[in-house]
Amino acid sequence: MVISRILQKTGFYFLIILVLLFTLFPFVQMLSTSLKHQYDWGNPSLIPQKLNWSSYSELLGFQKKEVKVPESIHRLLNNPKLSAEKRQKILDRFTSTSDVFPFINYFINTLLIAGTAAAISLLFAVFGAYSFSRVRYRGRSGIQRGVLLTYMFGGVLLMVPLYQISVQVGLANTSTGSILTLVVIYVVQTLPVSLYMLGNYFRSIPESLEEAAQIDGCSRFKTIFLIIVPLSLPMLVTVYIYAFMIAWNEYLFASVFLKNFNEFYTLPIGLKSLFVSKNAIWDRIMAASILTALPVVFVFMTFEKHLIGGLTEGGVKE
Amino acid sequence: MVSHPGSLAQQEARFGWKTVAPSLLLIALLIVYPVAYNLYLSFFEVKLSGQNEFVGFNNYIDLLADRAFYDSLTVTVIYVVGSTLGTTLLGLGVASLMNHKFPLRGLVRGLVLLPYIAPLISEVFAWQFIFDPVNGIYNHMTVEVLGISDERVNLIGTPGNALLVVIIFDIWKNFPFAYLMILSRLQSINNDLYEAATLDGANRWQRFWNITLPELRFVVGAIVMLRFIWNINKFDEVFLLAPNVKTLPIYTYFTAFTGTIEQGLAAAIAVVQFLLLIGLIFLYIRRVLKW
Repeated sequence: MVISRILQKTGFYFLIILVLLFTLFPFVQMLSTSLKHQYDWGNPSLIPQKLNWSSYSELLGFQKKEVKVPESIHRLLNNPKLSAEKRQKILDRFTSTSDVFPFINYFINTLLIAGTAAAISLLFAVFGAYSFSRVRYRGRSGIQRGVLLTYMFGGVLLMVPLYQISVQVGLANTSTGSILTLVVIYVVQTLPVSLYMLGNYFRSIPESLEEAAQIDGCSRFKTIFLIIVPLSLPMLVTVYIYAFMIAWNEYLFASVFLKNFNEFYTLPIGLKSLFVSKNAIWDRIMAASILTALPVVFVFMTFEKHLIGGLTEGGVKE
Repeated sequence: MVSHPGSLAQQEARFGWKTVAPSLLLIALLIVYPVAYNLYLSFFEVKLSGQNEFVGFNNYIDLLADRAFYDSLTVTVIYVVGSTLGTTLLGLGVASLMNHKFPLRGLVRGLVLLPYIAPLISEVFAWQFIFDPVNGIYNHMTVEVLGISDERVNLIGTPGNALLVVIIFDIWKNFPFAYLMILSRLQSINNDLYEAATLDGANRWQRFWNITLPELRFVVGAIVMLRFIWNINKFDEVFLLAPNVKTLPIYTYFTAFTGTIEQGLAAAIAVVQFLLLIGLIFLYIRRVLKW
């Protein structure tokens, strides 16, 4: 009896460790490779022989890439017959920053695009969810069900028509138009989830609070801001984070709409372009991957309780 | 009040529509209209000049005569069935483990969620490194440690093997979703049921089979359906890890944006994929869930 107990316990912990190993190994590998020197990449050990922080400092812009002008070029440059203009041209070729991966730039792009889209989505959703949960009118449950049906439409079904529409309207030609289109697409992609989650939450707020405010002369719009919004703050944060994460990770629409506008790339397409470029160096790619994941993981860990509650209540769309 | 019987209700209704209108308008404009427009485009040859030419059912006829379409269909079926089943089963297993008490359980429960919440693009690179023919640990294990294989292979570079890697990757990434849903249902099962069954002499397996599974029926049914919908539509996970695994969404993407650009045909593929999805869900709800 005792022995079988011990065996059971050991088996149980063995399984737990196995599950942890399976889920965490890729992340450990990511971190490990991001800190390794090139000669160390093929080494199966996860601990770097010598720590290499250079890819992080390069990505974050702490360290300018070293400029090496070959000796022969130096001699050429010192040639007095060379015009100043030509000298500058040659020098530019060697000091060109075109192969530096503009991580910070992409990071800010993603932050702005995802942040704006999530904010607009949240604003629309507050009103829509209020309507769903508090106002009685014919057709309400029909609309609610209709909104949930949009879960079935994947990005691929919308990709061609949205692209065609934006070309015809003339938005696809300019960077401003393309970014605008992308933001609006993210708003719509996250809206059904936001509506659903907020609607469920608003239903849990006692209606008597609102009635009291209305007796005191508050208009309906005012009660939304004075009663509903303050009481739902944790849920509003949760919904915002979900909408933000969906936009932060999105690849398909970003690749379709931002394709021709390099300087406005978001992180997913930026990292993908880094991977296929000539600078595909594992330590840099892994460092960029870690830096891309860090904000999301940090935010999730901070709000874990609320976010998990949201997840199990249908706060997801893939 | 009495002289205007409907006025309050009308006011209420007007307020309801006013508040939901912005959301509805956006959804109509950017989801419903595009879906309809996609159907419309599927009957045209879409030209870059904007002068689309009506071709009737030609896109569909071309598609059904194309071998690549059937290959893509097969790959999609294998991918969707494999990843959906794998995700659900692993989620079920991990949820029943995490339902027991053990030290640091809170921490472990949080860590297990990482694959689901971390950005896809980061994870894809980690997996690509693991299977990298030169540096990856996979080749080190199979060739040098276990000696299963004689030479280092590029697993993700060969479509057949890549499909398997993509399925495993998808299971890894999405099982936390199934696990969370199942765990939260498990925790709400009344403990009395288990105690009564134990008194009646039911062993662990019998308790699982006769109490736990029936209680989980609905949540598992819902997970399978959601994962099924999402995996059929899944683009980024497959495309970023192994674009040579041509499921229907990848096939559509390549048709629409690369090589000889045929957006009319791409629209037709998307329509066929959507009809397939609707049909299979209908079957699933009727036959499996028996709703």
